[in-house]
Amino acid sequence: MPSLYRLHRAALCAAVFGIAAISTASAEEIIIGAATAQTGGLAPYDQPALAGLRMSLDELNAKGGLGGKYTVKLLIKDTRSDTAQTATVTQELIDAGAKIMITPCDADPSISAGQLTQPLGIPTLTLCGSAPVLTGAVGDVMFGTYPADNVQATAVADFAVSEGKKKVFLLTSPDSTYTANLPEYFGKVFEKKGGAIVGRGTFSMGQPDFSAEITNIKGLADKPDLIMTAAYEPDFPAFIQQLRGAGVTIPVYGADAIGTPTIKALGKLVDGVVYTAAGYAEPGSKLEAFNAAFTKYAGHAPESTYEVNGYEIGLILDQAVKTAGSDDPKAIRDAIAGLKDFEGITGKITYAGTDRMPLRPVALMRYEGGDGKHVQTLIPDAADVPAP
Amino acid sequence: MIAQQIINAVSLGGVYALLALGLAIVFSIVGLINFAHGELMTLSGYALLASLVLGFPFPVAVLVAVSCGALAAVAMERIAFRPMRGASVTSLLLTSFAVSSLLKVVFQNGISARPQAVAMPGWMTGSFSFGDFTIGVGPSISIVVSALALIALEIFLRRSVTGTAMRAAAEDFDVVRLMGIPASRIIATAFLLSGLLAGLAAMLWVAQRASVDPLMGFTPVLKAFIAAVVGGLGSLPGAVAGGFLLGIIEVLLQATLPGAIAPYRDAIVLSGVIAVLLVRPQGLIPAVRAQRS
Repeated sequence: MPSLYRLHRAALCAAVFGIAAISTASAEEIIIGAATAQTGGLAPYDQPALAGLRMSLDELNAKGGLGGKYTVKLLIKDTRSDTAQTATVTQELIDAGAKIMITPCDADPSISAGQLTQPLGIPTLTLCGSAPVLTGAVGDVMFGTYPADNVQATAVADFAVSEGKKKVFLLTSPDSTYTANLPEYFGKVFEKKGGAIVGRGTFSMGQPDFSAEITNIKGLADKPDLIMTAAYEPDFPAFIQQLRGAGVTIPVYGADAIGTPTIKALGKLVDGVVYTAAGYAEPGSKLEAFNAAFTKYAGHAPESTYEVNGYEIGLILDQAVKTAGSDDPKAIRDAIAGLKDFEGITGKITYAGTDRMPLRPVALMRYEGGDGKHVQTLIPDAADVPAP
Repeated sequence: MIAQQIINAVSLGGVYALLALGLAIVFSIVGLINFAHGELMTLSGYALLASLVLGFPFPVAVLVAVSCGALAAVAMERIAFRPMRGASVTSLLLTSFAVSSLLKVVFQNGISARPQAVAMPGWMTGSFSFGDFTIGVGPSISIVVSALALIALEIFLRRSVTGTAMRAAAEDFDVVRLMGIPASRIIATAFLLSGLLAGLAAMLWVAQRASVDPLMGFTPVLKAFIAAVVGGLGSLPGAVAGGFLLGIIEVLLQATLPGAIAPYRDAIVLSGVIAVLLVRPQGLIPAVRAQRS
């Protein structure tokens, strides 16, 4: 049976060469550490973003890896949405040889991870942490990827002013940078453009009851025509349920964290709520094509724009490694910092000239009849964006 | 405005009272502070969601959800706590923490880490005007349900044989057993009642929050624990008093604190709790006898 014998030899040959091929690949391997929340309060944000990142890395690996050269090995560890645990797993990932670090969708854990990566010069990208103070709090290795809070707030404020809104009530929570600062950024722009802040209220994240705050809003002598908040799940549903339950019909605007299936599923309750997204899938757009490809990849449609944002992180890294021409963390960092008008899926992304929070478009959306409707997409004027 | 805030306070206090009572019933009999009580609420919340998704009419869904809470409590006792019977307070406490963490992870990985929206019927978000202030339907239902539940429980404990046995067991379990009343039945009933209360509280909680999530049980069980301690651990009237007191203090502080101090609300509430305990170390209405340790 010579033919079988030959086949056997061919197989053996292939196996030997295969091993050789794999061993050369592993010599050109780059480890990306992902310290992200698989459980806890941040999981609903980190998981979609990470799914997008995995998709892009899988695609890049099929084409030879980052910069066509370095096969990516993605190591993922659960932070349990805990800031201290984030530092612990970041250290474990550094010890495992990570040359690029991915951190959760929130400033506080991302800063704790950045404290470890900064001295080593490891480029660190937050999945969708959007607090503009985030990068300054860590240093030159830390990059935001999502439109920053002050940029989002400026976009929403511009829109509110264009609608003729005059008086706003700001609802903040000191429990996170996002919930504390975003409405205040909004307030700054709104005041500068002729609006007035007629009241402020606070809540604790996870607070069961908003009735006292709502009664205060109802009792304001100067009635607001808009409530701006950065509350998200589960606080946002609770707030709006109790607000509408108390018979208050003042419109409520928020930002990216309420662009989720949970909020959408609230149906009539959130009619008229304006929020932001990293992009909008117009027919024929790259984002529409991405959404279709993601659906095929993950078996379900993207829940929000966190998936595409995660996917774009992969593209940014690919471009950076290509520019750097090596897997040296410092060279990759410099390459990311120098990106200008990089064509992502949602639009052009620029890091050059920023403090490492990207300049990129913001899509404004509005819930209507249980669906998110596109209002407009804009890049706010840099001069209007309040300092972090 | 003031009348409105009083309604808010009573409505929140009522939910806290139901929760604290659920903790207290079990503690008075088994000496266990069940930190997995919050997960019974979560479970009821998911049961409500599932029933609504399956197309059950709203009242049926609520019934299913509350029964699920009650049955889950009994199952929890049978599976996790019965093998630990007679163990030290610390062991029981740790067991309840373990059950709580386990259930949270099961909810997160088995259902979704993301909160799920629960569409409450439209009339529940409505409000009616009464003179010159409006009362929400939600808070009103909350007050009525809490009051009815407290009255029903009182009647059960005063008038039925099992209820009497439970009150006796809270004072001296050994004597009750000597009277020939099976311990397991008393304990199972205690868990059943606490599960019922958790289920009811969950309905009121979800009605006000419009979503269920895997971690939703944490805050309520913490508040209930505080309420039960302030009221006097193991004392049922104490738990109710503690629940209302906590709800009223929280709403009043939220309503009156100036913006700059408002973030310290929880710190102020807890300082108040410490102050109460300094004056009355056994709580507002102490249990009839000190607990066995």
